[in-house]
Amino acid sequence: MELLDNLSLGFSVAFSFQNLTYALLGCLLGTLIGVLPGIGPVATIAMLLPITFHLPPTASLIMLAGIYYGAAYGGSTTSILVNLPGEASSVVTCLDGYQMARNGRAGAALSISAVGSFFAGTVGTIIIVLFAEPLTRMAQKFGPADYCSLMALGLVAAVILASGSVTKAIAMVFLGLLFGLVGTDVNTGAQRFTFDIPELSDGIDFAPIAMGLFGIAEIVVNLEKHLTRSGGTIKVGSLWPTMDEVRRAIPAALRGTFLGAALGVLPGGGPTLGAFSAYTLEKRISKNPGQFGKGAVEGVAAPEAANNAAAQTSFIPMLTLGIPSNAVMALMVGAMIIQGIQPGPEVMTKKPELFWGMIASMWIGNAMLVIINLPMIGIWVKLLTVPYRFLAPAILLFCCIGAYSLQNSTFHVMQVAVFGVLGYIFVRLGCEGAPFLLGLVLGPQMEEYFRRAMLLSRGDPMVFLQRPISLGLLITTALLLILMAIPSFKKARKEAFVEEEG
Amino acid sequence: MNRFLSKDFLSGLMFIGFGLIALYFGQKLALGTTVRMGPGYVPRMLSFTLCGLGLLVCIIALVSGSDPVEKPKWKPITLVTIGIVCFGLLFERAGLIPALVVLVMIASLAGEEFKLIEVIGNIIALSVLCTLVFKVGLSMNIYVLRGVW
Repeated sequence: MELLDNLSLGFSVAFSFQNLTYALLGCLLGTLIGVLPGIGPVATIAMLLPITFHLPPTASLIMLAGIYYGAAYGGSTTSILVNLPGEASSVVTCLDGYQMARNGRAGAALSISAVGSFFAGTVGTIIIVLFAEPLTRMAQKFGPADYCSLMALGLVAAVILASGSVTKAIAMVFLGLLFGLVGTDVNTGAQRFTFDIPELSDGIDFAPIAMGLFGIAEIVVNLEKHLTRSGGTIKVGSLWPTMDEVRRAIPAALRGTFLGAALGVLPGGGPTLGAFSAYTLEKRISKNPGQFGKGAVEGVAAPEAANNAAAQTSFIPMLTLGIPSNAVMALMVGAMIIQGIQPGPEVMTKKPELFWGMIASMWIGNAMLVIINLPMIGIWVKLLTVPYRFLAPAILLFCCIGAYSLQNSTFHVMQVAVFGVLGYIFVRLGCEGAPFLLGLVLGPQMEEYFRRAMLLSRGDPMVFLQRPISLGLLITTALLLILMAIPSFKKARKEAFVEEEG
Repeated sequence: MNRFLSKDFLSGLMFIGFGLIALYFGQKLALGTTVRMGPGYVPRMLSFTLCGLGLLVCIIALVSGSDPVEKPKWKPITLVTIGIVCFGLLFERAGLIPALVVLVMIASLAGEEFKLIEVIGNIIALSVLCTLVFKVGLSMNIYVLRGVW
């Protein structure tokens, strides 16, 4: 069995002392930022990118992945205990999780969410294992035109999930693509939009951009809102759920897992979408929907399982096709490029130890997270009492030092400042940063594939319609765009986001 | 409320602005042909599309209206930006600790509550942590205090 060989290779890599340490470190950091509101996985991974220079590729990717799914666990803790989602993907957990805590069932809610997440993470990992090989084999048949169309599909899909106007989100993608062009043109060596600044000739580094857009802008908005917090007063109580709670949680967690796993694979999908959809599904099929919002066990189990399953499966497009499906995956692509690995189908064939090692480490990481989250819950609750006025300067400081250490240059620190201001303008104007970041990361590759495809077809743009794979992808893209223009879908999309904000 | 000061209308203007900037600075780049594209081909294409989308956003905003922009509070964004710039200016010239002190001071002023004792405590804790992590732990090539360490 080739699959078992691959898995055993993966586990032998993941179980090395070094990789276990970095997996644990990633999970701890992820839980930490999940618990602390005001800083998300995107900004954290951007801050830590420079440090991964010093690590071997496998260890650095294992750590970054740990931060991502760790945040999905940690976010639920604060949602349940103090009604504050640490992470966007845990917003729905607040609805019923906090009510359970107020009914004295905080411990049960926490353990249902942790065990449900672990189960979902395991299923997610298995799905990656099953789908990775066929998808990779398919991706190896892709020509430049197909890749170009695939990226177009990925970018359009990312737009659906941005809240607010679709036109604005598409414009943000184009703005990101434009920023991605800065630097030396690969084909001719011409300097584009570099303004004679030598630091820009290698292109704009996206880590300072991500820190500015997702870190600095977020801090500023929180400072404006005068973020106050109260915590540490809620008693956790017994961690053991009652038989009735278990009986209701298991089917809900199962449904959440599969819904989340399916939505995570979609380009543009991810934990947040998974959690919202799972909650909506549970509410719709429940015999007594009136319970939701008053501490229904299903309302905790399903979204928590879904967000974790989606966090796992959203690795699939990135690992097999090299197409990031959300902002975190865009940064993972960046981390691979920093290490000199071109993301795409070659990763699995040329670097099997990295590929399977990372997948195996995800399962180990999920197991670690159950331990980190349940017995150590008291420590995380304590952390919640740290006021934001201490945290904000500290996060700023780490962003600055992280930006500097990218290339030991203060130029990148200034870049953080510039993109912080730009990010703040985006927030004020209601423009989403995620489509921008995806455009930025995919821009250079997409241009290269586009130019290569046009060169191969001797300047005939029909090549995008003649190749069956490319045609199929473009038809899907067009369908998505049409779907977004249909009034009833528009309404449903709007309602989904209203619920998110409420 | 002025309908031109809406979120969407201003975003549209921003997109058009970026598109025009890119067109202006990209005008010297060779376009090439569709077979052999020059460095200017894709930028030109993207800039025009961005301008077009910006225009579309503006028109939609005027026709169907959008939320007015909230009045920005200038203090946090200005102070945070100044803090980062000061950090950038001081980090190599003076070292980690002076840059850290200035950044944390300015950033703390950006919040609503400012208690000097707390801020000093935060500075001391962060100084020790950063020195241990970045200088000792990761042995980064930085000055903790230029001329001293």
